[in-house]
Amino acid sequence: MNPAPVLEVRDLSIKFGDFTAVDNISFSVNRGEIFGFLGANGAGKTTTIRMLCGLLEPTSGSALVGGLGFEDGGKGIKKIVGYMSQKFTLYNDLTVGENLDFAAGLRKLEPAYAKKRRKELFELIGFARPLSTMVASLPGGVKQELALAAAMLHDPEIVFLDEPTSGVAPSSRARFWSLIRRITGLGKTVIVTTHYMDEAEQCGRIALMRTGRLIALDSPAELKRTAFPGPMAEIDFKGGDAAAFISGLAKAAGLLELSPHGMRWHAAFRDKAAMDAALSALPRSASAGLIQPSLEDVFIRLIEGAER
Amino acid sequence: MNGFNIHRAYSIARKEVMHILRDPFTLALALGLPVMLVTFFGFAIDYEVKNIKLAVSDRDNGPASRRLKEIFSSSGYFHLVESDPGAGPVALVDSGRAAAALYIEPGFSKKIKGGGSVEAQFVLDGSDNSKAGAIMGYLPGIQRSALSKLAGTQVREPFSVETRFLYNPELNSRWFTVPGLAAIIIGLLAILLTAMTVAREWENGSMELLLSTPVRPLEIMAGKLAPYGALVLAGVFFVYLLSRLVFGVPFAGSHLLYLAACLLFVTAALSQGLLISVVTRQQQIAMQFGMITGLLPSMLLSGFIFPVESMPRFFQYLTMLLPPRWFMAAARGITLKGADLGELAVPFLALGLLSAGMLTLALIKFKTDLE
Amino acid sequence: MNRTLRAFIRKELIQTLRDVRMRALLFGAPIIQLTIFGFALSTEIKNIKLAAFSQPRDAMFGRVTEGFYASGWFARAGYTPGEDPFELIASGRADAVLIAPKEGLARSAERGDGKMQLLVDASNATKARAVEVYAKNIIAAAAAREYGARGEPALKFDVRVLYNPAMESSMFLVPGVMGMLVCLITIILTAMSLTREREMGTFETIVSAPLSNAEVLLGKTVPYIILGLADALLVVLAGYLIFGVPVRGPLWQLALAALALVVTTVSIGTFISTVAKNQQQAMLGGFMFLFPSILMSGIMYPVENMPKAVIAAAYLDPLMYFVRLIRSIMLKGGDAHVFWTNLGALALMALSAAGFAYKRFRQTLN
Repeated sequence: MNPAPVLEVRDLSIKFGDFTAVDNISFSVNRGEIFGFLGANGAGKTTTIRMLCGLLEPTSGSALVGGLGFEDGGKGIKKIVGYMSQKFTLYNDLTVGENLDFAAGLRKLEPAYAKKRRKELFELIGFARPLSTMVASLPGGVKQELALAAAMLHDPEIVFLDEPTSGVAPSSRARFWSLIRRITGLGKTVIVTTHYMDEAEQCGRIALMRTGRLIALDSPAELKRTAFPGPMAEIDFKGGDAAAFISGLAKAAGLLELSPHGMRWHAAFRDKAAMDAALSALPRSASAGLIQPSLEDVFIRLIEGAER
Repeated sequence: MNGFNIHRAYSIARKEVMHILRDPFTLALALGLPVMLVTFFGFAIDYEVKNIKLAVSDRDNGPASRRLKEIFSSSGYFHLVESDPGAGPVALVDSGRAAAALYIEPGFSKKIKGGGSVEAQFVLDGSDNSKAGAIMGYLPGIQRSALSKLAGTQVREPFSVETRFLYNPELNSRWFTVPGLAAIIIGLLAILLTAMTVAREWENGSMELLLSTPVRPLEIMAGKLAPYGALVLAGVFFVYLLSRLVFGVPFAGSHLLYLAACLLFVTAALSQGLLISVVTRQQQIAMQFGMITGLLPSMLLSGFIFPVESMPRFFQYLTMLLPPRWFMAAARGITLKGADLGELAVPFLALGLLSAGMLTLALIKFKTDLE
Repeated sequence: MNRTLRAFIRKELIQTLRDVRMRALLFGAPIIQLTIFGFALSTEIKNIKLAAFSQPRDAMFGRVTEGFYASGWFARAGYTPGEDPFELIASGRADAVLIAPKEGLARSAERGDGKMQLLVDASNATKARAVEVYAKNIIAAAAAREYGARGEPALKFDVRVLYNPAMESSMFLVPGVMGMLVCLITIILTAMSLTREREMGTFETIVSAPLSNAEVLLGKTVPYIILGLADALLVVLAGYLIFGVPVRGPLWQLALAALALVVTTVSIGTFISTVAKNQQQAMLGGFMFLFPSILMSGIMYPVENMPKAVIAAAYLDPLMYFVRLIRSIMLKGGDAHVFWTNLGALALMALSAAGFAYKRFRQTLN
């Protein structure tokens, strides 16, 4: 089964003067997917998203969003997508009701329809406070949920969320992600950027970006499998001297990746035989255990691979 | 922990300087604006009302009426405009093409020659008071010279007055406009700049960050005020150079006293800005407050244009709450009159008290906000 | 009306008017200021502190001096006879000192050269000039009184002051201050409004909606045009009720003039807000516009009195046209020629300012 893509990007580039913010990327996103963009600041995630929301026109290449292109300056695209920008998008000095009324006005929604949507969305996000509540007085997590509701008032097919959970408490982040899953459950497509690896794990597929290029694109599990075909060990020196062993380990045959994680080290190998050989000389005081590679490991490996 | 820590204040000041330097637009405006406006208005504003357009309807057209017109035009104040024969001169006043109109009836010259008394009608546009007032002042002088020249009878002037203008013998308007304008620009910029910076800190949340450190409110305030004080004082120096070099404004008094007056005034303006920012906490409201309590009163109620002594008593007292009023008095006193400290005691004391008062209020408000 | 525009108007009005301080600034402050300026300011110089010195006491000089105090322009300065007149002026206790001739006014006048001396503090040149004019006229009147103005003087001016016969300063200043306040408020409101949305990030939401540039621009300006007009109405009412400043011309002229001014200043404010990177820059930009335009408007100084280059610059000042319009409409009954030429100029400015704002606005959006 291969559902029709709602988003198709072909050889897309965006330049600002001499600076290439997005460099020749191609991908497609299917209906109902949670599609994540991962990458450092300035990697081109926000620029890509702003383009896909109809805010920027591509310099070259093509993009079809819900089947629509940029022939009309992005206006058609704007109608069918919802966008929540990085910065806080509600007005702190307005009430909840006033904010949503304004959002409805921006989309020229019929008042009756806007009211119906508001009810549905409040149910979806579990918002039960009075409409006259000032937004400034709401906790950060609730504000973000409301901002999402405002971005979805016109019932968009595709929702773009640019770092929706930055600066939000961890418990609220988990709540927000279950909300994202519920939205895709309704048949919507969610495209989200994030800094957090645990959030990236929850995406259906992840696009990894670096300096405007797409350096990997797959599901989290596949990404791990391709980046680390063999086993990975976590070595804990328990305060003992690691330097001598590590410098030796770095030269071991079959080592794919070696990186420090706080007090511990992660070492990935081509296969189990290579790992056993390399770890045989482990000092007594240290211990090693088999672990599943995290997305962070993948991230480090892929970025290093791209730099090489 | 309790004392005022100069190092902490200094590091806040340094951060503020970085802010200013990184925003060349603000820096250029803050320094360029005073210079631009001082040169501009130093050249532009002349308080002596001249070139008054006078519409004349001369229905006599005799030697005396021509003479009278000549007296008007040679006075240097009036510029004669012949009115359309049909419409009459009042139409010109109505449409604003003349500020005054003169009617000379037929038979004017004949009557004068016969030694009779004649009347010429003079109509004034009262919708512009500053002009109308000046014209009213010029009329008697014209009347006197007309009497002697027209009737040929030397009017007896048993006594007269000889005016001696002290401090500014040629009544050069620039001598008092330029120091006055400087006071306004500096006062206003200092108020607006400080009002907005502190409000900005509240608005974008960095004030909370600052307050979570062991910095004391007084240190924050000193650190925030000092760089703007320096910026504004640099503006004062520019203005001083301009007024001396370009306008040749004399400097009769002591430079040290002038510096003291400037420091006091800048302090007062900065304190006012600080008070506004602490009370409003929002840039837009802070700016409104700054404009309304800064721009309009310092231009209109400080004595810059309208002398304070000409106001009703209640308003004279009200102006005492305005720092620019005191600085205006001190600056004119020092530059033109060469006033000494004794003569400046009142303005100095007032400036000091006002700054202290506003600073205390700001500090109290700041502290109560923290708790 | 367009649903989006309606939403914008509601939102901007709520945001502006919710804050008590903002309401006070918008509606309270203009009234208070108008009142202060209307009552306090006078183009007439008054309360000039005069001291009079004569060596031998001299009844004629005394009568001349009384003429000064009776004129209403001069007040008695506090001093003791025998003080140094220069010191009196230096210390600011007197603005002017009248000094009788050495042997007394009466005796020197008999000889035909009764020259009194008037020392004037000229550290305020305007005031000094007024003092001299007043003094000359008072002394001429005194001379006529003392030596008998035989019959009527041969030439008299029959002076009639049009539009403001009592020459009340408030009649002249209030319309001008009105223009200034409306200008000030609209510039402040608009110069920061867009800048603030951009700083906060809410601007992204607006641009992500499928709206035309014109819709967004109208949405961000029309609410402030409404507020500016409300303020203009308020100030005209206050001028009428508090100072009795009449509106002698037709109201539609006044409405059109106010609309043209408000559209111009709102457009200029919006233009500033598209250029400014942050609110502080917006403020300085607004200030850059406000300060010269107030000074060149003719509210306080007659424009004709300025050098040619400045007059040329004043022709670019929307406030100048408005001040001409409002004085003509309120005090003179609105001459058709004055109205249409100045309104035309102001409307042209409004259109080009709006055009500039729109052009600049489009660049910001894209």
